[in-house]
Amino acid sequence: MDAEKIFTEHLKGRVAVVTGGCGGIGQAICRRFASEGAQVIAADVAPMPEALQSSAQYFNHDVTSEQSAQDLMAFVEQQFGHLDVLVNAAGIEIEKTIEETTLDEWQRIFSINVTGTFLTSKYGVPLMRKKGAGSIINFGSYDGFIADPSLAAYCATKGAVHALTKAMACDYGKENIRVNAICPGFVATPMLESFFGDSGDIESLKQQVRDIHPLRRYGTPDDMANLVNWLAGDEARYASGALWVLDGGLTAQVQQMRL
Amino acid sequence: MQLSGKVALVTGGRQGIGAAIVERFLLEGAKVVTCGRGARPSDMASNIDWVQADVSCSGQMELLKDHVVTHYGALDVLVNNAGVQIEKTLVDTSDDDWDVLMGANAKGVFNAVRSLLPIMASGGSIINMGSVSGNAADPGLALYNASKAFVHGLTRSVAVDHGPSVRCNAICPGWIMTAMADSAFAVAEDPAAAKQDALVRHPAGRFGTPADIANMALWLASNESQFVTGQLFTVDGGLTAASPLNPSLF
Repeated sequence: MDAEKIFTEHLKGRVAVVTGGCGGIGQAICRRFASEGAQVIAADVAPMPEALQSSAQYFNHDVTSEQSAQDLMAFVEQQFGHLDVLVNAAGIEIEKTIEETTLDEWQRIFSINVTGTFLTSKYGVPLMRKKGAGSIINFGSYDGFIADPSLAAYCATKGAVHALTKAMACDYGKENIRVNAICPGFVATPMLESFFGDSGDIESLKQQVRDIHPLRRYGTPDDMANLVNWLAGDEARYASGALWVLDGGLTAQVQQMRL
Repeated sequence: MQLSGKVALVTGGRQGIGAAIVERFLLEGAKVVTCGRGARPSDMASNIDWVQADVSCSGQMELLKDHVVTHYGALDVLVNNAGVQIEKTLVDTSDDDWDVLMGANAKGVFNAVRSLLPIMASGGSIINMGSVSGNAADPGLALYNASKAFVHGLTRSVAVDHGPSVRCNAICPGWIMTAMADSAFAVAEDPAAAKQDALVRHPAGRFGTPADIANMALWLASNESQFVTGQLFTVDGGLTAASPLNPSLF
């Protein structure tokens, strides 16, 4: 967390569920929400990192399972009675073209990135309705607008999340449930390490990709948590159905010419 | 002969993309008028009607309208192709730069449409030259990028306000190999490397040619696009469907 950050506790008393809450970006979101006064549930199939235990409760949640989504929300209802904020951050990436992608791989990435967002939201919305308000933040990607090579299924899932975000915003706006998506670029996480994993001179490659960014750096999980935190709270009360690109300027340009 | 009997005006038809559109429209049977700031080029084909006129000057666009009315009666197709590019960042841009660039690229389109739309035949087609840089920025081309975003916005307004009598669309070219493209690459620290970087990011495997843009302009001018209006058509070999990362890095 940034040293100079001032917490306003604007989420004091709010109940927040973060799927993928034990992942790189998810942990940063859980910690930020806790710092802002929220009750946080890190919902993940991965185990709870020790460092997160002071910030969040853990719920073992498989986003691909309807039963798991029902169990998660039953737990939230029993513990808190309602839900204020849902962050659908669980996601995976497959680095393949469509010819290289097996049907099983295709179905797996869709079941996590798209079906997971659908299911957790489906069972989360009724708990937001009980409160009369809510904020859902999905994870899109700039890859939902434009493509990177050999990420075909991933790009398709993120395009689906973008459309689902707008559809949910249309359906639930009248109940004061807002739905937005953040669209990260390159964020320094284990997923990014895996993206660079098998590519020759990795350090040189990382530097080249970093320097294509107008801000000349990769995003951090805290950069993502800053925007998620804003979208979660009342300052964002008029924001809904929008796709928020957060990529250090990468996709504002056609091409970087000053490498 | 898709434009048989039609009258077309292409601004800035002396060179580059404009010249390719003029040539194609003639081949398709249109009568073609074009204009530019200079005198008639000595090597210009005799079947092209050249008018010396500067799009940035509203009075000269009115005279151009009078010329079209006198010689052809009405106009079927207007291609707002004339444009300039200044390779500067915002802080380096002077007042004179603003007048030159916005005068041609923004006010020029405004002037031409305002003067010529009243003499367009019902069913006419206006085609503006936007750019992929009106949607995402090319470095060191601040006002150019902004002027093209203006063109995109004006395209939609003209389509909305002046349908159904005319249609109005814009073409957004990517890297088309013209003198203007070379000037844009010249802002790079290493122009040759930047050009190579751009080339490998084209799914089409090549840069565009003026003829590629003329193909799109012909379709938008023709009756094949009768239900098409208010839209931007990107013709960039796939460049902006991909992220700015260079796939050869991986």
